[in-house]
Amino acid sequence: MSKSLENAALRLSGISKHYGYIKALDDVDLEVHPGEVVALLGDNGAGKSTLLKVMSGAHQASSGEIAVNGRKVDRYDPRVASELGVEMVYQDLALIDTLDISTNLQLGKEPLMPFPLNLLGFVDFRRMHEITETQLERLGVRTAPAERPVEMLSGGQRQVTAIARAAVRLFERGKGTILMDEPTAALGYEQTKMVEGLIRRMADTGFAIVLVTHNLPLCFNVSDRIAVLNRGRKVADVPRSEADHSSVVAWITGAERAIA
Amino acid sequence: MSHDAIDAGAPSGGAANGAVVKRQLPPDVAILVFLRDRGIFVLWVLLLVIFAVWNHPYFATINNAMLIVSAASLTAIFAAAVATGLFSGALDLSLPGVAALSTCVVGVLLKQFGVPVPLALIGGLGVGFLCGLINGYIVLRGLNPLIVTIGTLSVTSGLAALVVGGYAISGVFELEFMGSARYFGIPSHAYIVAVVYLALTIFLTRTRHGIRMRAVGGNSEAVRRAGLSDQRYKILGFIISAMLASLGGIMTMALVFEASANASPSILFTALTAVFLAGVSLAGGRGSLPRVLIGALVLATISDALTIAGVPPYWATVATGALMIGALVFDKTMTESISARLVKVSTMTVHEKASK
Repeated sequence: MSKSLENAALRLSGISKHYGYIKALDDVDLEVHPGEVVALLGDNGAGKSTLLKVMSGAHQASSGEIAVNGRKVDRYDPRVASELGVEMVYQDLALIDTLDISTNLQLGKEPLMPFPLNLLGFVDFRRMHEITETQLERLGVRTAPAERPVEMLSGGQRQVTAIARAAVRLFERGKGTILMDEPTAALGYEQTKMVEGLIRRMADTGFAIVLVTHNLPLCFNVSDRIAVLNRGRKVADVPRSEADHSSVVAWITGAERAIA
Repeated sequence: MSHDAIDAGAPSGGAANGAVVKRQLPPDVAILVFLRDRGIFVLWVLLLVIFAVWNHPYFATINNAMLIVSAASLTAIFAAAVATGLFSGALDLSLPGVAALSTCVVGVLLKQFGVPVPLALIGGLGVGFLCGLINGYIVLRGLNPLIVTIGTLSVTSGLAALVVGGYAISGVFELEFMGSARYFGIPSHAYIVAVVYLALTIFLTRTRHGIRMRAVGGNSEAVRRAGLSDQRYKILGFIISAMLASLGGIMTMALVFEASANASPSILFTALTAVFLAGVSLAGGRGSLPRVLIGALVLATISDALTIAGVPPYWATVATGALMIGALVFDKTMTESISARLVKVSTMTVHEKASK
């Protein structure tokens, strides 16, 4: 990692996390730069999810430092993370099934009708759909029409919607970090390919992306760098070009280590 | 991918150049969606036709229509209260108690303190507001809304009896203008119901706060992650719900000229029947208010028509119960076949197909 500290969109140093006597994370360093996809791998219980939760602010680290865009953050929780431009795409997606794609994406910043209807909080649905279509187009995503309820979407469309929602919230600032927990779990082959394409395009637009996954093909297809956790420790952190399938498996199972 | 057009991987050039082609739902799905979402309207019209023929010439008259509207009004108000609660994600069982307490407060204000009618009404609705606020705050402590509101049902009905000193206050004639009075031949209750449903429907479907309130009922986590306070909207749901119950209680009093501390749960169950008939989900967030209104009308229509036909009244109870269960089964079947048709490819797991 020759890039300077200022360049890291998100940087963790010396992160440890204890649950009682159990050490879920032990002195982990990790950084992700704008335009970079980091795949975070590890066996069940290796600490991937815990690390992701620390990054999203959902869990507080027992010790260690977090810096966003090169600035150290003292109090870090999901709200602060969101304000600083770190968005999480949860595995459960957290979409509102009964409302349409547009409303799901624009919730919290719905465009209002012109005066005087705006005083009563009337939403301008036409404009909201337009905004959504434009944003999805910028991401290069075409799912169902923006006014279709989420419950009528397929699994892949939902996943794309959830990822797009995280991206849309970062659009205004033009950069940011997106954390994803198993973005292709429960997706079919073709849909996985679509999500891979979306992740790659978002990285190319300048977003920093951290990807927790069990899915090695996904990891090799989209990541720039691969970090592996084993029993709470980081055992590998290498550019993708320096990793192959068997070495990754060896790191995951703990047979080998490769720390730069 | 058939009609399941996710082409996230496709270049966006196609969509970008000029007219955005709206991908419509396939026709079979569109019909199913129509039946699921508008089925109750179809059912009502069907019932009207059947009863009009069966009970000819007594059913299809203006006068009988007004009777049905009148009978449906109170159910409709309470059903709106229940439905609003469910939209925001909570079933409020304290509504009959809140109604009784508001009624008694209005009765006492009018009869014992001689308060002017508008102020007494504001007082009554204010009681509803407070009850909703308190219910909401307690539930937000992380307690189960069903159990909490069973508790507040007991508290409010007890308080109602305390307010009136254990006796019903009779001879409350001041509110006749919103009771048995008719304007242009239409019962006053019908106007109130029309205004309430129109305003509430617009609020829930067209305005920011209404949409967010339904979003909380659908998935409060999603609302929280959007940086909004889901708690505020939950409390708002309880407040609107309780104020509607107050209104319903006051309308009942206006009709029978008596403020009674008797919190009758039967109105709640009738309202629930109308609400579920209309396909509102107990899980929250799903349903539409106009359909709830039709649900209340369907109940009133059935009991009216069976009475005219001379069928013993308990058959109406049997029929509405069966109809509600039928509606649930219908809704579930429709929803399942819609998603089965729409989502054919999403169930393949990564492990089966992608990872090796």
